[in-house]
Amino acid sequence: MRIHWYTYFQVFSLLCAIFCRRGLRLYSLGIMIPILVLDLGTELIGTNWRVFHWKNNYVIYNLYLVLSTPLFLYLYSILLALTRQQKRYYFAAAILLEVLVLYNFFSYQGPSEFNTYSNLLIQGANIMLSCLAIARLAIGGRDEEAIILQDPRFCLNAMILLFSLVTLILLGLQKYIVVHDIEIRHKVLYFAIMPIANAVLYTGYSCAFLLCRMQTSK
Amino acid sequence: MLLFFGVLFLVMIVYYNYRRRKTAQEKKAMKALFDQQLMQARLEVQEQAFTYISEEIHDNVGQLLSLAKMQLSALGDSTLVDHDTLEAAHENVARAIRDLRNLSRSLHTGHIRALGIRQATEEEGQRITRAGQLLVSVTSEGSERDITEDKQLILFRIIQECLQNCVKHAGATNVNIGFTWYPDQLRVRVRDDGKGFDPEVTLRGSAKGLGLQNIRNRARLTGGSGIISSKPGEGTTVTVMMPYE
Repeated sequence: MRIHWYTYFQVFSLLCAIFCRRGLRLYSLGIMIPILVLDLGTELIGTNWRVFHWKNNYVIYNLYLVLSTPLFLYLYSILLALTRQQKRYYFAAAILLEVLVLYNFFSYQGPSEFNTYSNLLIQGANIMLSCLAIARLAIGGRDEEAIILQDPRFCLNAMILLFSLVTLILLGLQKYIVVHDIEIRHKVLYFAIMPIANAVLYTGYSCAFLLCRMQTSK
Repeated sequence: MLLFFGVLFLVMIVYYNYRRRKTAQEKKAMKALFDQQLMQARLEVQEQAFTYISEEIHDNVGQLLSLAKMQLSALGDSTLVDHDTLEAAHENVARAIRDLRNLSRSLHTGHIRALGIRQATEEEGQRITRAGQLLVSVTSEGSERDITEDKQLILFRIIQECLQNCVKHAGATNVNIGFTWYPDQLRVRVRDDGKGFDPEVTLRGSAKGLGLQNIRNRARLTGGSGIISSKPGEGTTVTVMMPYE
């Protein structure tokens, strides 16, 4: 069984989330535990796809996109603290997004081809929603003296924003990267950068969870 | 470029949060300072009120009653009843009672509430004019509006403070208290023809400076402002702007 080095960061952040679950509940971030379980499961199966005698691992990553999207959309619905009216529009947009992802999975690109369009769409939505959530935290927060850097929700959103930006750039420039054969240390740019981006993302998650715990114990 | 904008956005948010926190802390510190000044002003005002009562009792009521006592003692020594002395003693006791009543009225808040600010000011002016040191006139422009009782009381104390300053420090002979009823706020202007002073110097220290600070603080309590303008030899004008709401 193969395990990529950045998978350890995933395991660590999942353990952190379980350890700090009370703090996570306080900030309504309990949904992060199923998200991390899904992340880790996808990563482990995706890395060891040959064990299952598959042709490639695209199915599992595509399935991940389908399953993780509603979880993230639910997370944002909490982080954005929407009004009843806003919630209605938000859920309509969320359903539309999920329908597009499902359509791409079953029909347009199909499960056996990597669903780049779905990924681009999801990362775009992630960028927009995390920006909104951060802006809400900074402008709409009641406590004017609160330090935003100590807010776990800021940490979480900032990491998602940066990760989504990196993913979007790499996927958007994929054709250019392939045509020009851009590599770092004999590795395709996408595979050279994504593990680092993953490591940073899950470290950020872990920090956010620990911040949750610190705020609870205060 | 996209990544740069993402990082820039995060940096801007953190900076915005820093500025917001700093502003909130400054606001809190300013409020604490203001509360402290207010508390100090309240104590000073209370002290002034006690001094004022003490002086009034000693200088007016006390003198009149002492005189009446002497007159009555003189009557007690003689076997004949001197009707003139008795009349004078009677007059002195009556004046003492009147002075006490006036003093009580000027201090009692219910009286101000019942009459309203303009009328209470007129009565206070008449009381001071009767004492003979100062000629107080009260004018009013525009249609009178309702003001909350608390604001009326604060305003009345400001006017009293101004009048006391005129008697004690300004050496004024005439004072005009002008009420101007604007649609959204009331302007009260107290003008005297006294010797005036340099507000910048006076506000920095001295008991009079504290009194002037009290005027400003009280005006701020009403949600308005107090402006003190004066020049040596040119009298003093205190303007209080007070919103109705």
